[in-house]
Amino acid sequence: MSDGAPIFELAELSVSRPGAVLPELDRFSLLLGAGESVVVLGEAGSGKEALMRVLGGFTEKSDAISGTIRLGNGEPRPAARRLRPAIRIAYLPSPLAQPFAPHATVLSQLSRVVARKLGSPQESAQEELRLALERMDGAPPLSSLNKKPAELNPVTMAWGLLAAVSAQTPDLVLADHPLADLGPTSVRMLLGVLAAEQKRLGFALVYATGGLQPATRLGGRVVVIREGRVVEEGDAVRLASGHAHAYTRTLYRALPQLSLDRPKARGAPRGQPLLQVHGLDLLADPKRGTRQGLTFELRRGASLALIGEEGSGRRALVRAVLGLDRAPVGRVVFDAVDLNILSQTMTSRLRRRIAFITGADDALDPRMTLWDTVDEPLRAHLDLSGDLIAGYREGALKRVGLASHDGRRTVATLSAFDRRRLQVARAIVGAPLLVVVDEPLRGLDAFAQTIMREVLTDFRTHQEPAFLVVTSDFTVAQARADEAMVFKDRKVVERGAIVDMLRAPKEKVTRRLIEAVTLPDLSRAPASV
Amino acid sequence: MSAAFDSPPHAAPMLRVILRVVGWCGLGLIAGAVALSDFLAHAPAGAANAGSILDAPSPAHPFGTDLLGRDLLSETLHGLSVTVGHALLGTIVAIVLGGLFGAVAARLPRPVGLALRGVMDVFAAIPALLLGILVIGLTARLYAPLAAGLAAAPLAFVRAFDRVDTKSTHAEYARATGISAATLLRRDLTYEFRDTLATVTARALAAVTIILSTVSFLGFGATPPARDLGLMIAAAKTSYLHAWWTAAAPAFALLILILCARLAAGLDESERP
Repeated sequence: MSDGAPIFELAELSVSRPGAVLPELDRFSLLLGAGESVVVLGEAGSGKEALMRVLGGFTEKSDAISGTIRLGNGEPRPAARRLRPAIRIAYLPSPLAQPFAPHATVLSQLSRVVARKLGSPQESAQEELRLALERMDGAPPLSSLNKKPAELNPVTMAWGLLAAVSAQTPDLVLADHPLADLGPTSVRMLLGVLAAEQKRLGFALVYATGGLQPATRLGGRVVVIREGRVVEEGDAVRLASGHAHAYTRTLYRALPQLSLDRPKARGAPRGQPLLQVHGLDLLADPKRGTRQGLTFELRRGASLALIGEEGSGRRALVRAVLGLDRAPVGRVVFDAVDLNILSQTMTSRLRRRIAFITGADDALDPRMTLWDTVDEPLRAHLDLSGDLIAGYREGALKRVGLASHDGRRTVATLSAFDRRRLQVARAIVGAPLLVVVDEPLRGLDAFAQTIMREVLTDFRTHQEPAFLVVTSDFTVAQARADEAMVFKDRKVVERGAIVDMLRAPKEKVTRRLIEAVTLPDLSRAPASV
Repeated sequence: MSAAFDSPPHAAPMLRVILRVVGWCGLGLIAGAVALSDFLAHAPAGAANAGSILDAPSPAHPFGTDLLGRDLLSETLHGLSVTVGHALLGTIVAIVLGGLFGAVAARLPRPVGLALRGVMDVFAAIPALLLGILVIGLTARLYAPLAAGLAAAPLAFVRAFDRVDTKSTHAEYARATGISAATLLRRDLTYEFRDTLATVTARALAAVTIILSTVSFLGFGATPPARDLGLMIAAAKTSYLHAWWTAAAPAFALLILILCARLAAGLDESERP
């Protein structure tokens, strides 16, 4: 396929589901040439999913499809008809979308896919995979994939999926949110490898995403879609510059930049110590004596970010601090009470003043209704009348933008964005002293991220709880906290004011985390990863 | 890479939903027949010589008559009423002692909970019929409904115990914010039991009905004049080979009752709880 030759052309494509009020895609047209890339940017349910289904040829029987599709140099044909494609198409899913069967190793499953696509024996496919991984900077060895999906971390699986795509030497790659929620350093590295492989193999790339990192890093053409229709299409530089449709500007507002300016004083002056940690060591062996433990303090109304990659020890620290796991060595004082000397019952009582807002979608009981979820902390901890509880609930739901939802809906029926806001509403009614915010934007598209940031800021401004922010993203840390501790291998490697770290990071891991979220200035130079 | 992307999601099991509706409608009709049994019956319970002996089904006696000339339609309606009453009592015992205690035991300190589950596992391994007969032997035939409930309880206990997921992420987050174990138990009872109570009840009803009827058939259960369907079938043993209708009517009623309960429970025995 020569450069510039059309890889596919979609004309007037519409996709509808039975019973749905709006079509998933509404007269969508797109032309892509060999070696070109296009980022399809939109919220969840904007139509990206339907586009990928049609291009990938895995539409569902219930899909009502109209419009035409032309693949390679073939003739246009109705998009509803499934035919063997004239070009080689590789699919790159997110490792978090559970793309693997649980009972076989990732290596065997990837080899099978590559072998089927190349029409070669599985041994040759495995060799192609090995070669692909060896070509990629920073990729794990092939042997690391010889495990079942549950035993592998998502980043390693993402490397495997990327290698499988490369090994197929495709004409077209359909990247379906492939790097969503993998952490900024991994995203940066994998995007770089994807771009390098595209340059080397010359495949066309359709990259569906709800986040702005890929659009900003890959650059080039961006199609913004909403409710199945193209809002606008253009160059990433122009869309990011602000000269764009109001909706696109809203999406790009979710792209925070790191600021090297000293933060303004946040709200009221900090109060008495709320959380004091003395000599806590997650790695210590009590029999051998302690090593240098971790000591820090969080005052009432203050905020502290715990920054690091997955598995760096941030969550282990939070669990130890909150008494969910006992640290082998150290002392934790919460609200002037030593948690280590309290019984489980008393610790449980103290925890009433703690709230969690996490990126985990199963943090709320899926069986509970929206109203019950917000009411529970009030009913469990206080003796209030039904009217008072309803009043607090309504106030909290209004503040997070869920007041118009039917309160009898169960959590299971809510979107990830609504569930995240519901966590905030539940935290608001509990009037906590400490809020643990753990990757609060994970899995949300750009639009939802903007709203979520505003909701969290409003919560902090009105109730002034202390924030303990767990994240791998310096932009999230800077938006929510003034000071930070950087973790690596379950140890704190750097600590201090975030702005000082941004200006002069001392440790390599800190520098890497900052670089991962430092986006290229699209207005000055061509985008690069 | 295949399963998630190559095949469409499974279609909703509409047939099962339809069968469930049919099952509940059937149980509703049976409840209606039980409630109106005194009006629908041609004769009071145990009324001999309502017709001649061993009359075949006819317009006067749609189900025929038995050895004592009792109208079998009337007797079947009365027997159904007794069977359903006893089975409901046994079902309540099975649900409370099995399901409810299982859900509570799962929240006890882990070693205690597992020890209880182990004990219940042993009882669940014994055929429920033998367990029911054993309990009747230790008490009295009068307590047959309770014995049937107790015999069905171990399996309900194990199912309810296994259904409770104390290690779920949402439960852990709730505990981390001071929500007590009692509140979490209330949550489970409110949502889990509310959502599955109908299924659990229907399944227990089917199990208890089978135990009760078999126990009565073997002569360890209901005693005259309170004749349930099992006892009616047992009484027809001598006449069945030359007057099939004497056993067919109560057997058919029993079959319909158990089938409707099974359909209402969703048919699949492996389905929890």
